[in-house]
Amino acid sequence: MNAVLVEIYSTVIPSAPYIIAAYALLLLVLFVYAFMIMRGTKKAEAQIAVLEEALAEKKAAK
Amino acid sequence: MAEKAKKALKLPESGQWPDSVVPIALVGAAVFLVAGFLMAFLYASPVNGAALSEPVLVGDQMVTNVQLLSQKIFYFHMPVALVSFGALAFAGFYSVRFLMTKEQRFDTCTKIAMEIALLFVVLTMITGEMWTRFEWGLWWTWDPRLTTYLILMIIVIAYFILRNAIDDPERRATYGSVIAIIALVDVPICYMVTRVIPSSIHPVVLREGGMTGDMGMTVAVVMIGMIMLGFVLYRMRFRQVRLTQRVEAIKEQLED
Repeated sequence: MNAVLVEIYSTVIPSAPYIIAAYALLLLVLFVYAFMIMRGTKKAEAQIAVLEEALAEKKAAK
Repeated sequence: MAEKAKKALKLPESGQWPDSVVPIALVGAAVFLVAGFLMAFLYASPVNGAALSEPVLVGDQMVTNVQLLSQKIFYFHMPVALVSFGALAFAGFYSVRFLMTKEQRFDTCTKIAMEIALLFVVLTMITGEMWTRFEWGLWWTWDPRLTTYLILMIIVIAYFILRNAIDDPERRATYGSVIAIIALVDVPICYMVTRVIPSSIHPVVLREGGMTGDMGMTVAVVMIGMIMLGFVLYRMRFRQVRLTQRVEAIKEQLED
């Protein structure tokens, strides 16, 4: 086999863990951040619904 | 007069037109990033980049450069780094807007842009470290590009530490804006350092024309996807922060 191709193929197995780790960590960080945003949004929406109800009740009592 | 000018100022708000683009941008980001990932492994040639001592015939192609498989990290590493610079540019812009108007909404925008910048800085560091470990055989070296980028990361982290240390909103926003502008100043230094200091071992693909057409195309596709993703994350976070601010405002109304 051609020496250049031998050199390229010889790096496949040793470099695979670093490539997999790079892409996996990249995806993980992005998903964790997106998950945190979505969870925070849901929590804030639920709080707003309850608080607006309480505010309306307070205004009605006045 | 000043009050009139303040009233005429159009503030960024969730639900404005950029939010209507978010679903399209999200789909676009997914499509471009998946396509970019596939292109990196299936389309971009593995035999370009580092120079060989002499041209070699591989198959029916004369090859003068060789790239190892670890180079596949580059196709995502460079776009995330450029998006981090873009996010810092937005943070700098909103910081200047805050310092001009003293309007807290611009501080909110700065904070979120800095968060997005930190996210992409971390992604750049992760992908860069993995590449460095395999290609150079070490986790870290004080190369000018790596050092200036580390300084940039420290400045962005310092921004959040400083914010948490100050209670007064106006002082917090003012100091934060100054730090965000300092971070922005580091961006061109970080970008140009490999050109200014020739001893840098970090590859300079844009200046030296180290990318062939297929490599450039792959980077461009990932770049578009990452820009869209950055935009989507920014708008999602902005919506969440505005909702949280609204919760606090209602709580205050209830306490009165």
